[in-house]
Amino acid sequence: MSDCRRFKEWLDRGTEDGFSELETHAAACDPCREHLQLWNAISQAAPSLRKRWESPELWVRIEKAIHESRRAEEASRGRKESRAWWPLLAAAAALFLVAMIGLRVFRPSLGQRELLTSRSFSKPLLTEDALSDVEKSEERYVASIERLSRLAEPKLRQPSTPLLISYREKLLLLDTAIAELRSQLDQNRFNTHLRKELLAVYQEKQHTLEQVVREEKS
Amino acid sequence: MQNGVRVRAREGGENLVETPDSASVREPEAELLEGARRGDVSAFERLFQTHGERMKSLAANLLGSPSEAEDAVQETFLKIYRAASSFRGSASLSTWAYRVLVNTCYDLLRRRARRPESPVSWVEPPVDFGSAPAADHPLRVDLAASLAALDSRRRAAFVLFEVEGFSHREVGDILGVPEGTSRSLVFEARRELQRRLWGSREARA
Repeated sequence: MSDCRRFKEWLDRGTEDGFSELETHAAACDPCREHLQLWNAISQAAPSLRKRWESPELWVRIEKAIHESRRAEEASRGRKESRAWWPLLAAAAALFLVAMIGLRVFRPSLGQRELLTSRSFSKPLLTEDALSDVEKSEERYVASIERLSRLAEPKLRQPSTPLLISYREKLLLLDTAIAELRSQLDQNRFNTHLRKELLAVYQEKQHTLEQVVREEKS
Repeated sequence: MQNGVRVRAREGGENLVETPDSASVREPEAELLEGARRGDVSAFERLFQTHGERMKSLAANLLGSPSEAEDAVQETFLKIYRAASSFRGSASLSTWAYRVLVNTCYDLLRRRARRPESPVSWVEPPVDFGSAPAADHPLRVDLAASLAALDSRRRAAFVLFEVEGFSHREVGDILGVPEGTSRSLVFEARRELQRRLWGSREARA
C-alpha cells in the first residue's frame, strides 16, 4: 500500500499511535503535506477560540442567587420545623402510650430487656461511617474496573472489527452516564437510588470490558 | 478578573492553575473548600475570580452563546453552593466546579434540543482577546463552525484540552473518564475537525 493511501486511511480511521511514521512521509509529499498542515493548524488555531469578555454583573447575579437560595432554604427549614412539631408530638405521645401498654402486657425477660437497651438501637440506620464503607468498596470496585480497562485499552485504541468499534462507542456512553451520576452523587451522597444506578452502570461497563478482553483473545 | 492566573504546562501535575509558588496553590484550594463547605460566600467569590473567565469561555464554546454561558456559570455556582457542605469528592473544588459546569452545559444542550424552534445564534459581545495567543488565526471562524457540529462529548474534550489548555489528566477528571479516554476523545475530535475543514476548503475551491 502506498504511503499516500496509508496517510489518507489514517486520516479517516487511524489512531494517535500511527501518526509519527506517516508524518515523515507527509512532510515530503506535496498532497499529503497540505493535509498535515491543516492537521497542525487545528491545534495552532484552537487557542484563538478562547472567549474573553467583560461581564461585571455576573458575580452580582450569582451572589444574589446564592443569597436567595439561602433565604429560601432557611424559610423552607423553618416551615418544615413548625409543621413537623405537632405530628411529631402526637406520634411521640402515641408511641409512649403503646410502649406503656406493651410493657404492662408483655413484661420482657431480662435477656430481652438487654436487647432493648442495647446500644445498637440508638444508632441511626445509615451513618457517615456506613457511607464511607460503601464509598471505599466502590473505590476498590472502580480500581478493578480500571485495571480491566487497561487490559482492554490496546484493542480499543485500534479496533480491528466493527464489534470492537461498537464496544468502544458503548463504553464512551457508559463513561458519560458514570460521570453524570457521579456528579449528581457529589451533590447528594446519601441517595441510595443514585448509588444503585451507578453500580448498575459500572457492572455494565465491567461486562462490556470483559467482552472486549475475550474478543481480544479470540 | 484573570488575576494573573496562567495555564500550567499540560503534562503531569495535579492543579488546574499555577502561580509562581505552586505550594501556595494547594493551600488556597484547601481553604476554598473549607470556606465553601461552611457556606462562606467569599470563598465562592474567590473561586469565581480565579476560574470565572475560563468557565465562561468553556461554556461559551460548548453552548455557542455568551448569555447562555453566563447562565450556565451562574447555575453552576448555585449548584456547588447548595452541595458544597456534603462534597467529599476526591477531586479538588475547582475540578468539581468545572465538572458541574460541563454537565450543566450538557443539560442546557439537551433542553435546547427538545425545543428546536428556538435556534441560538452566536452574537459575539465586545471581546478582549488579549490572553488568546492566536486571536486572529485565519482558521478561527471555520474552526468554530466545525466545532459546533461535533458531538457534545468530543467537543468538550477538545475545548478543555486544545482551547483552554487543561492537561489530559485534568480533562479526564472533569469529564469523569480515564486519561487515555481523554486522549482518544481529543484525537477523534481533531480528526473530525480535519475532515470537516478539508471538506469546506474543497467546496470553496
